[in-house]
This record gives sequence, C-alpha cells and structure tokens, in this order.
Amino acid sequence: MLSVSNLHATVGEAQILKGLTLEVPAGEVHAIMGPNGAGKSTLSYVLTGRQGYEVTEGGATLDGEDLLALEPNERAAKGLFLSFQYPLEIPGVPALTFIRTALNAQRKARSEKEITAPEFLKLARQKAAELKIDFEMLKRALNVGFSGGEKKRMEIFQMAMLSPRFLILDETDSGLDIDALRIVSDGVNALRSPDRAMLVITHYQRLLDYIKPDRVHVLAGGRIVASGGPELALELERDGYDRYAKAA
Amino acid sequence: MAAVKQTVDQVASLEKYKHGFVSDIEQDFAPKGLNADIVRFISAKKNEPEWMLAWRLDAFERWLAMDEPDWAKVNFPRIDYQDSYYYAAPKEKVGIGSLDEVDPEILEVYKKLGIPLREQEVLAGVVGAPRYAVDAVFDSVSVVTTFKKELAQVGVIFCSMSEAIREHPELVKQYLGTVVPVSDNYFACLNAAVFSDGSFVYVPPGVRCPMELSTYFRINAENSGQFERTLIIADKASYVSYLEGCTAPMRDENQLHAAVVELVTMDDAEIKYSTVQNWYPGDPVTGKGGIYNFVTKRADCRGDRSKVSWTQVETGSSITWKYPSCILRGEGSSGEFYSIAITNGRQQADTGTKMIHLGANTRSRIISKGISAGRSSNTYRGLVSAHPKAKGARNFTQCDSLLIGKHCAAHTVPYIEARNGQAKFEHEATTTRLSEDQLFYAMQRGLSQEEAVQLLVNGFVKEVLQELPMEFAVEAQKLVAISLEGSVG
Amino acid sequence: MSVAAAIRTRDVGELPSRRDEDWRWTDLRGLIRVLPAPSESFAGTLAAGPFDRLAIDHHVLVNGGDARIDVAAGKKTLAALRLVSRGAGAHASRVTINLAAGARLRLLESYESDGASVCQTALTITLAEGAALERIVLAEDHEDAVSVSQAEVRLSPTSDFGQTIVTSGARRQRIETRASHPGGRASARMDGVYLLAGKRHADHTTVVTHDGVDGTTNQLIKGVARDQARGVFQGKIVVSEGADRTDARMGHHALILSDRAEVDAKPELEIYADDVSCAHGNTVGAMDEEALFYARQRGIPEAEARAMLTEAFIGQVIDRIWFEDARRVVRNWAAERLRV
Repeated sequence: MLSVSNLHATVGEAQILKGLTLEVPAGEVHAIMGPNGAGKSTLSYVLTGRQGYEVTEGGATLDGEDLLALEPNERAAKGLFLSFQYPLEIPGVPALTFIRTALNAQRKARSEKEITAPEFLKLARQKAAELKIDFEMLKRALNVGFSGGEKKRMEIFQMAMLSPRFLILDETDSGLDIDALRIVSDGVNALRSPDRAMLVITHYQRLLDYIKPDRVHVLAGGRIVASGGPELALELERDGYDRYAKAA
Repeated sequence: MAAVKQTVDQVASLEKYKHGFVSDIEQDFAPKGLNADIVRFISAKKNEPEWMLAWRLDAFERWLAMDEPDWAKVNFPRIDYQDSYYYAAPKEKVGIGSLDEVDPEILEVYKKLGIPLREQEVLAGVVGAPRYAVDAVFDSVSVVTTFKKELAQVGVIFCSMSEAIREHPELVKQYLGTVVPVSDNYFACLNAAVFSDGSFVYVPPGVRCPMELSTYFRINAENSGQFERTLIIADKASYVSYLEGCTAPMRDENQLHAAVVELVTMDDAEIKYSTVQNWYPGDPVTGKGGIYNFVTKRADCRGDRSKVSWTQVETGSSITWKYPSCILRGEGSSGEFYSIAITNGRQQADTGTKMIHLGANTRSRIISKGISAGRSSNTYRGLVSAHPKAKGARNFTQCDSLLIGKHCAAHTVPYIEARNGQAKFEHEATTTRLSEDQLFYAMQRGLSQEEAVQLLVNGFVKEVLQELPMEFAVEAQKLVAISLEGSVG
Repeated sequence: MSVAAAIRTRDVGELPSRRDEDWRWTDLRGLIRVLPAPSESFAGTLAAGPFDRLAIDHHVLVNGGDARIDVAAGKKTLAALRLVSRGAGAHASRVTINLAAGARLRLLESYESDGASVCQTALTITLAEGAALERIVLAEDHEDAVSVSQAEVRLSPTSDFGQTIVTSGARRQRIETRASHPGGRASARMDGVYLLAGKRHADHTTVVTHDGVDGTTNQLIKGVARDQARGVFQGKIVVSEGADRTDARMGHHALILSDRAEVDAKPELEIYADDVSCAHGNTVGAMDEEALFYARQRGIPEAEARAMLTEAFIGQVIDRIWFEDARRVVRNWAAERLRV
C-alpha cells in the first residue's frame, strides 16, 4: 500500500527528514511515535503535498503510484486523507457544502458519477448519527467556533464521508477528553478494513489503547530509528524517548 | 542671567511635575533669533570643520524656503522662531570626561534627577547590578559622557555629537543625514541648521555593546530651544541598547524641542532604542507653557536580517509630534514599535510610526497604547506600506486607546498601503473607557480609586512596559501613575 | 472645489487631487487632463437594469438629471434607481430621498456606464423617526468610466439605515457616504464589497458622525483585487463629545490575488466621548494558504478551492443584506465575477 523510501525533506532551510523508510501494507495500522521536533508532522505534510515542504531525495508511492508528482487534491482523489492536528476554520462555507464539494471533486477526478443531493444528505445523516454529531452543526461554517473536540470529530466525520483508502491521523488525540477520544476512536476503527491502511502519528501512547496498531515505529532525527510490535509503545511510555533521541 | 532662582525646598513641593525645577547656572547664550550668523556662531562655538558649517548653512537656506506643516491633529499658536535662543551652554569650559571641572550646580541637577554621572556611583551598587553609560546633554551641549574608556576597549564609540564631528569626521560624513535627509521636513531641516549637540554611537562589527547606553536631555535655560541630533550606527552583527530620558523646568512660555535621531543597522545588527519622555507638559488647567516636542526619529535597516526596536513612553510635553519609523530595506529585516502615550491636562499628542517595507520577507510589529485624560487629545497616526518588491512582508498592529473622563479625545489614524499580493497586514484597534465594573471590583477588594485606576492602567500598558530595560520599566511605571494623578473623581 | 463643480465649469482645477488628504488614493486631477463635453441627452432604448424585476417604482436617470423619491409616513415601497451613462460625456445627477416617520424603503440603486464618461451623482437621503431604509447599490461601470457617487444621509432617532455597496470598479471610481447619526437607538450599517480585476479602481469612503447618545454603527467591507487593480477603503467614525454609549464597529478585509494589485486602507476613529465602545479591524493579504491546502487535501482542485474560499469571504458581507431577493441578485452577480 504505502511505501516510503529514503525520504529526505526540507522546510525552508532546515533538513527535517533525513532518509525515512517505511512500508505500510493494506489492512494494517502503523503508529509513528517520537519526540517533539522529530519530523512527525513534516512526514504527514510531505505525503499530502503541502507547499513549502521540499523533497530533496527519496520517494513515496501509494499502491505503486508516485505520490510526490501529484497535486494535493490529486493525492486526495487517490484516497489519501490527512486528519489535521489543527483543523482549519473555513468561515462562510457550511460543513456540508464543503464536504459535498470535496466528495464530488474526488469522484470527478476518478471519473465516477457525482453523488446526488438526497443520497448525500442520507449518507451525512447516517454518519453524523454514528459519530454523535448534531446534524445542525453541519449546516454551520466548517469548524468556525467549534471546540477542539468538535473539530477533531468533524475530521473523522469527513473521513467517514469521503471514505479514503489511506488515512493519516496527525495527533488526533490532542485536545480530546476521554469520551471524545472514545467516539473518535470508534469512528476510526469502523474504517478498518483489509483494503485500507492507516498511519497514526502520536506523541503519547494513550491513543493506541483505543486504536490498536499492528506495528509501532520510532521517528527521531528525521529517520525511523526503531520498529516493533505494540509492546514498543508501552516501552516508550515507560522509558521516554531519550534513548532514541541520542541514537538519532 | 535668564535662569530663575528656585530653592530645593520648592522642588520638593512640586507634586505633579517633579522635574520642574530650574537651576541657576551661568550660561553662554547666542543672541536671540535666527539667521545665518547664528548658524555660524553655533558652528564656531563648537570648533567645527568647514564642511560641517557648509552643511548647516545649506540646511538653513532650505529651511527658509519651507512652510511649517499643519496636518497633525494638534493646535498651537504660531511659533515665533526669532523669539528663541538657539544656543545655550553652561559657562565653564567643560573638559571632556573630567567630571571635576563640571559646574557643581549641573552635577546637582543630575543628582536630583537620579542620573548617575560618576562611574563609581553606578558601580557602588550591588555586584552584578546592571550598569549603563550616560551622555548628559544640558541645554545645547553635552557636559559629560561616562564609561567611554571601558567602551573604547571593545571598539564602541560613545561620545557627544560635537566630539564625533571633530574626532570621527569620516563616520559622521558617511552617515549624517543619510536616514533623515536635510530637507526631510520643516523641523528636521531646522535641526540640521542649528543642532547643538546630541549623542553619537558606533558599534563595530560583531560587537555586543557590554552595557546600556543612555543620553539624558535636560532643557534648563529660559526661552531656549533644544535641537539635539543623535546618530547610532550598528555595524554588521552588532547589538546595542540605547535609552534617552528628557526633562525640563516648569516655565510659562513654550519651548521648542526639535530633535533628529538617525539609526543605521547593517547585516544582522540590532538596535533597541528606548525613550522615556517627560518634558514639562504645561500647566494642567490653563495649558500655559510646556515643551513643543517635534521630533524626527527614523531607522534605516540597511542590512539583511537587521532589526530595530523603538520603545517609547511619552508622558510629557505640551505637544508631542513624533513618528519613530523604520525603513525596512534589508531582506528579512524587522522593525518594532512599542508605545505608551499618555496625555492629561491640556496636552496634545500626535504620535505613531511608519513601517516602510521595501525588502522581501520584512517584518514589523506595532503595539500602541494611548491614554487620554483631562482635556487632552491623543492621536495614533501610523503608516504601514509594502512596496512591490517586499514579497512576504508581514505587519501586525494593535492600537488601543483608553479614555478617562468626559472631555478628552482619542483618535486612531492608520494608513495601510499594500502594493503586492504576498504581503500580509493585520491591524486591530479599540477605543474604550476604563471599565466601571473593573474599577468597582478592585475597589470592593479595598483599593482606593486612584490605586484601582493605576492597577488597571498598568494592566493596559503592560505589554509595552515589558519591552523596556528592566530598571527603566520600573521608573516608567511610576511615571505613568504620576501622569494620571487627579484624572479620576 | 468638487467633482460636481468641475463637471459644471469644465475646469479641471476643480477636481480633487492626491494632495487633498481625502482623495490621496483617488487622484482625479492627475488622471483627467481635459473634461469631456457635457453628455448628450439619450434617445435610444435601454436594456433592463439589474434590479428591474424586483422593484415596484422605477426611477431612471440617463446622462444626468434630477430624481426624487418620497415615502409618506407609515408607507412602504420598493424602488429601483438607475443612474445610467451612455457615451463618453460628462454629467451630474441629483437624487433626493425622503422617508417620513415610520416609512420603509428598499432602494435598489445601480450605476451603469458604457464608455469613458465622467459622472457625479449627489444623493441626499433623509430618514425621519422610526423610518427604515435599506440601500443596495450595484455599481457596474465601464472600465474607461470615471464615476463618483456622493451620498449625504441624515438619520433620526430610532431610524434604521442599512447599505451594501457592491462594485466592480471603474477606471476611477469613488462611492462615498457621509452619515450624520443622532444616536437615540438609531442604527447604521455601512457595508461594501469590491471585486476588482484588470486595471480597475474602486474607492469606498464613509464617514459616520455620532452626535447623540445610544447610537450604533456596524460596518463590514470586503474586497478582492487581482491583476493590476486597486482597492481603496477610507472609513471614519466620529463620536462627538457627549455621544455616550455609542457602539461602533468597523471591519475592512481584503484579498490581493496577484503580485501587482494594490489595496490601500485608512480605518479611522475620532473619539471625543469616553463612554463608548469602538473598534476596527483591518486585514490585507493573500488568500490563507493553510485553508487552501486543507481544502485541496480533501480533494478540491486549486482553482475551485480558491473560488470557493473567495466566495465565502465575500459572502459574509452579502449575507448581511436584509432583502432576500436582492441578496440573491448580488450573490449571483459576485459568483459570476469570481468564477473565472
């Protein structure tokens, strides 16, 4: 599914990723953990194509297709979804309008038929109910005036509506209380399937109690410095990142 | 002798304006009035080279052809430029650096003002206490500059402008008038013709000036104008922090203070320039007397990544008219302006800044806090502009006004000119009065009304006070409180 | 010195220039070397105006003239006011609008020029107590036209005045509103939108003077400038001594969508009373790149994402129009110009 090899990337003048290699096969959930400043968010932005994140060496493919050559919206149409650490507020654009525009743009890019208004509303009502989102909230401008928890829930709602193939969750647990964390995790877990994969980026182990990873990688100094099973996350929780920060 | 006698006891009785005393010091004056001969007289008194005299006379010619500007929101009777002295200096010849030769009366003045002119007085404090070097300008001349030797050891030149013209003519010629051109504006042009003294600072490449530098300006003589000129050059990757303080006696007639300050920063250099301006504001009830403070201050951030930060606490003067500005020429250069302007009684202030973005990725930040009380008027006037080449220019402006009382005025006049699609300017402004709810809350907890006002005002200006060097921040905070005495109730 | 006098006397010396503080960004004297001859009277037939289908009363001035709209006490009407320029002459128009006590008027005003005309329109608008006026202005001038509209608005206590000026600019264009606000629970809304392309210029100038207690003013101006266009906003709120409990908010926000477009702004507060709450905010800059990336990450192509975000940006002003049918006309008009 996702294959990243020897990825080097700069932000401005700073070299952030320094030879990152990673394989996430279909059906699996991988966690990326690491100290602050290790390059976790940079990885998510490089994969999704944000301006200002320059790849200087290496590559990344999704199902063998070169991601780095594509525009951000083309990558999205290929099924790549990033749940933002800080979701943006979009004044003046109701959440439903935004999501429908996105869904139809993706469908168009994949030469699929646009979704009709009744179909879309039916789907939205169903997903909103599953995620315990008040449907009225979806008529308001996207994320404007929403609490941190509501914004994260709105990210998962968009994820459910757009039904991507590869999900990147960037610090999705930050700013969530336990109840919200459970709802968000349930939403994510509902999307687990043999033809989907996920990359869960987190600083703390807590989220991984709810979204169980198949593999855990430690990102430090711009590279993956250790990989292991779920037990690695527990070890990091206990011992901290010092050992790896030094290794990097 | 023009100076009026007043005793130390009278000084102690002055509550509102504690620097309002006059000192009886024998002085030399140039004849009253202004003509080319006065300009020659000033130049001759200071033993200036021929090129400097030529520069002054050229400025004087230009000044004669200019009209006094009238666009600021201030009102004052026409100034009679012939009814003022343009040169006043303490009589004794002052040996540079030899404090023992300075008139003891002058030393007494600075002692009263709390300005340490003896290096040992500064050193006598606790070990590790912050030290600062002082250039003391008394009416038209610099009387003493402290710590010169120690500064010279690291290559920093800190002296009076008169001395710089004699001792460092190559530096003066290279930079003087390059930031504020001779005919920039009416008052700057007048200054170029008749400027008497001021401070000169040069910090060589890579040097971080080991102490705060400061100039203390004092207008003492009656009917005299003060026209000082300051030039600070921070060469590549150097740093200097500079502070000026100003006071004047209480007098019934208005006195003109038309200074020019030029700052130059080369690549990676930084100048932090702080002002605590407490010129006599005039009589709070009648508005009689006080200083006309018409000052041109400008920084040229010539070097890439260079930085200039202006911080001002303006509490004095009957009229203040000044806009410390930054020309952000170097790529990635940045300018800051932090201002507290307080007007009370009949004071008028029209002050702000200009941030002129010429280079790519230049940044500026403006935080202005205006407080008006009594029957005063307080205007923020500012310009932020981005030229077509200033891609990636950024500005943030926060401009707040606080009104205390029914008869004062607060104005906000920002000009914003964005001439390219990659600049980003943000401006916010508010005008409110002191919250009665907050006042009541504080008083319910036992504070007197004055204390409560002080507390709230301190909160209002805190963001700017933080930018001052610590020892001056404390002083400035006291000044804020004094300036607002009697404004409520 | 005024534009009207310049048109009347054909003396360019009467035109305001950038030396006049009030016209620093809208220089007419530097632009117009010779004033064109007076416009000839128009005999042809006009195409429909943008609001024709919504209005009950129709007032049309072609190449100058006078018009008057009176609304009697307690009455209510919906009027279209078309200020049309045909050809390349110079002319001035005068419009007087009176609302008696409790009268209500929806005024749908349009500026329509088709060439290098120089025109000035003076409007005098008076609202008696309890009257309500919503003024919606659509300025569709020709790219060679010089167009100046100057309105004096006099409010009375308990009256409501709301305006939304929507413009695509002209060679040089100034739309000015000066409102005298007596307080007394009267309210003024002074909104505007400019969508500029090519070498067009538009200047929104407003002055609201609060002379009595308990008045509110709310202003939101948004603009978009692309190509080499230039947008100007000069807003001034004056609160006179004694006009306590005035609540005034002013916002101006502009997007510059090209390297060579320009936006100049002067949001001004002049306050002589202490018991007030006044604020203004001003932002000028490129489109928010983060929001753009966010939309693209969800799959929306760049051009579409830009159009969506720009429309939403402008839409926040259009949403404040009270009259729903006019809101729809304006929204479609804006969408047509943004989806290019």
